[in-house]
Amino acid sequence: MREINETLSRAAACEKTVLPSGLTVLVRPMPGYGSVHAEYATRFGSIDRDFVLDGKPVHLPAGVAHFLEHKMFESEDGDAFSKYAKTGANANAFTSFDQTCYVFTATRQVDESLDILLSMVGQPYFTEATIQKEQGIIGQEIRMYDDNPDWRMLFALCGCLYENHPIRSDIAGTVESIAEITPEMLYACTDAFYDPANMVLAVAGGVTTRQVLDACARAGLDKPRTPHKVQRIQKPEGPLPAKTRDQFRMSVSKPCIGVGYKEAPLGENRVRGEILCDLLGELVCGGMTPLYRRLYDEGLVNPGFGAEYLSVEGCCCILFTGESDEPEKVRTLLLEEIERIRREGVDEELFTLCKNQMYGEMLEALESPTGAAGALVSNYLRSSTLEEGVQLLAALTKQEVDAALQTMLLPEHSATVTILPQEAE
Amino acid sequence: MKRENLAPGVFLNTLDAQKFNRCRITIRFQYPACRETATASAVLPLVLERCCADYPDMTLLSRRLAKLYGADLSVDNSTNGANRVLTVSVTGIKDEFALEGEDLTAEYADLVFGVAFRPYLVNGRFDEEALAIERGKLRQQLQAEVNDKRLYCVRQARRRFFGDSLAGVERDGYLEEVDGVTSQLLTQVYEEMLCRASIEVTAIGAKDETVRRLLLAALEGRKRDWQAPLPGLFMPRRQPDHQVETMDMVQAKLCLLFTAGRCTGAQEIAASRLAMALYGGSVTSRLFLNVREKQSLCYYCSSSYTSVTGCMMVDSGVEPANARKAEAAILKELAQLCDGPITDEEMEDCRRGLLSSLESVEDSLSGLEGWYFAEIARGGPVSTPAQARAALEQVTQEQVRQVLRQFTLSVSYLLTPEVNDHA
Repeated sequence: MREINETLSRAAACEKTVLPSGLTVLVRPMPGYGSVHAEYATRFGSIDRDFVLDGKPVHLPAGVAHFLEHKMFESEDGDAFSKYAKTGANANAFTSFDQTCYVFTATRQVDESLDILLSMVGQPYFTEATIQKEQGIIGQEIRMYDDNPDWRMLFALCGCLYENHPIRSDIAGTVESIAEITPEMLYACTDAFYDPANMVLAVAGGVTTRQVLDACARAGLDKPRTPHKVQRIQKPEGPLPAKTRDQFRMSVSKPCIGVGYKEAPLGENRVRGEILCDLLGELVCGGMTPLYRRLYDEGLVNPGFGAEYLSVEGCCCILFTGESDEPEKVRTLLLEEIERIRREGVDEELFTLCKNQMYGEMLEALESPTGAAGALVSNYLRSSTLEEGVQLLAALTKQEVDAALQTMLLPEHSATVTILPQEAE
Repeated sequence: MKRENLAPGVFLNTLDAQKFNRCRITIRFQYPACRETATASAVLPLVLERCCADYPDMTLLSRRLAKLYGADLSVDNSTNGANRVLTVSVTGIKDEFALEGEDLTAEYADLVFGVAFRPYLVNGRFDEEALAIERGKLRQQLQAEVNDKRLYCVRQARRRFFGDSLAGVERDGYLEEVDGVTSQLLTQVYEEMLCRASIEVTAIGAKDETVRRLLLAALEGRKRDWQAPLPGLFMPRRQPDHQVETMDMVQAKLCLLFTAGRCTGAQEIAASRLAMALYGGSVTSRLFLNVREKQSLCYYCSSSYTSVTGCMMVDSGVEPANARKAEAAILKELAQLCDGPITDEEMEDCRRGLLSSLESVEDSLSGLEGWYFAEIARGGPVSTPAQARAALEQVTQEQVRQVLRQFTLSVSYLLTPEVNDHA
């Protein structure tokens, strides 16, 4: 066992440095790999809509974090994509509910690519004209997602479960909300959230810590900074869903069903709580469960039926979604199965198998430079480490899951959304 | 990569992969597409993935995979020109990470070959009950095609492009034929595949000897009458066919398919890669920089090329009102690359990006495996990623133009929320 722990520690190892600017740098050198993947992330996502910056309240319309992500690729001396083209790096960015992340993968000129990454995020540049142009591009992106039933289901469920929490709003906002964005708003966001102390840089692959720290020094991140005073404001949110049912129609071949459960926000033990939520989903309707088998064999759902969880500041929910010709029957069977497990306790063998499976998934995530850098960022933003995640999983017992089920997945905390095909009217 | 011919039409390809946490064993059966049995061929992977003789129930098989630390088993169908490829693959953590000291490579190989060669049969045929369930899944999948508007548009365009050709035989079969797939037919299609398909096994980061031993054991006593895969199949040039389909949706989708009028060989692959990067296959391409970024005509707009069918595709998401303008802009960029100036800067930007991608291929199990199978499936010499990079360094502007000048538009398919006078 000792040897395995050492093997695991090697697989999850990383070198951590906190620079005088406050930036945390995580590097995982991976011998034998030709590529390098870098992620530069800030704790700023679509849910950060209200905050106080240096004593002044700021309210953002929906979609600002995502809009800002697009705008960061532009600077006075050209756009970042054309700079990356000179290094051959493949660059991208994404915005989630609680983070914005800028990434590249490169095999050559890694130092130059790191310089581009650190300068594009460190030197914001916005004008009325460039904002207007971006509104058109993002408007098309929003419309593309409007045709996606999974995306529509996610936000319909969040809209039912939450009354005030900004997780209700689409990450990209709406065509109307992004029309309200001004350069001043974007600068307020960069002042508040693009401070190095609120960010993490994770790099994995054929790279050394020295290389990464040198790049940080070239970007001036090795010098102390005076951060702005920022206070995030959270609107109060009760424990019960805002509404328990929603239904709408769109162009889909068959109905889609979603059942969401509003759980207590995870707070300090977030990583453990997330592992628990993940396990619960697997234990209720994962591929090894009797419920999944029944739904599958009776043709009640498509193979994509499954559970996922969302966990951000002030919000945690578990969502069961899929396609079904008989959405009400699926809902009934799901609720009955949850009650049965609550009453009888989770199956011991299934519990062990699910833990085994999650252990394998954690190792898988560490295998590629992309997976490793991504895992470093997501764990850091949860104030945890990869090793801690593995240890928490190993320590979790069936009794703890049984106990958790007495207060989680409660029917009074659930909401149901149905999407019906247009032609069924 | 080490390549061994173990039996007629059976090859074992092994790659050392010390750096990965996991290993991967894959078996691929490649055989000619057939219109009459297409739907049975589409049901086959669903039934095989469900269970096998060693684990005759899907829950037992799922639990077996979980016991192997969440090993990932996949069985799927894909196309390679006029051929079908059925792939069974298991990826799982290496022995050194096993908590109980298990010989995981042997377990994975046993599972892959068990699923491929020892299906769960009742009285010599696939189980009727399991088949009925999987027919239902395929039916649902075919009915749900319309949910993904982008993919649906591409598929509709391909249907117009390939028509009745073997390359146009639907990978997922035909809705109206699903109920006709009987246990007898499915068993016959499966046996035929085992007998006639070319078999490629790839083991990456796994113990070669164990894989070889278990593969030979699985083949032992099996009657084989191997047939070489069909060669590339291209569509002749034609007058452009403009199609418009309306649907309740928000963003329109436009798919353009071009033919080269021939299949291109291995020696043209490097120039084709660079041609696609310049036209629409990268963020430094003309379609991305001009049509998407400068003219804001598309949210996405990219090109890709399949050498085995000589078919180039441009796939885009457009504002319904801009569809006609977007198509004109896409065609204009192609014409300008064929006959207008190409700067050294854009050539080198695209070349650099491609070189970087080719260097990353060896950093993932799926990347490595996909690379070598594509090389094998194309026929001719098998190049390493390093050889492909060397070839890419030599490509000239004139070679890129020659590739692009071959293409003529065959099909334009617009999926749009409103009636449009596009056609």
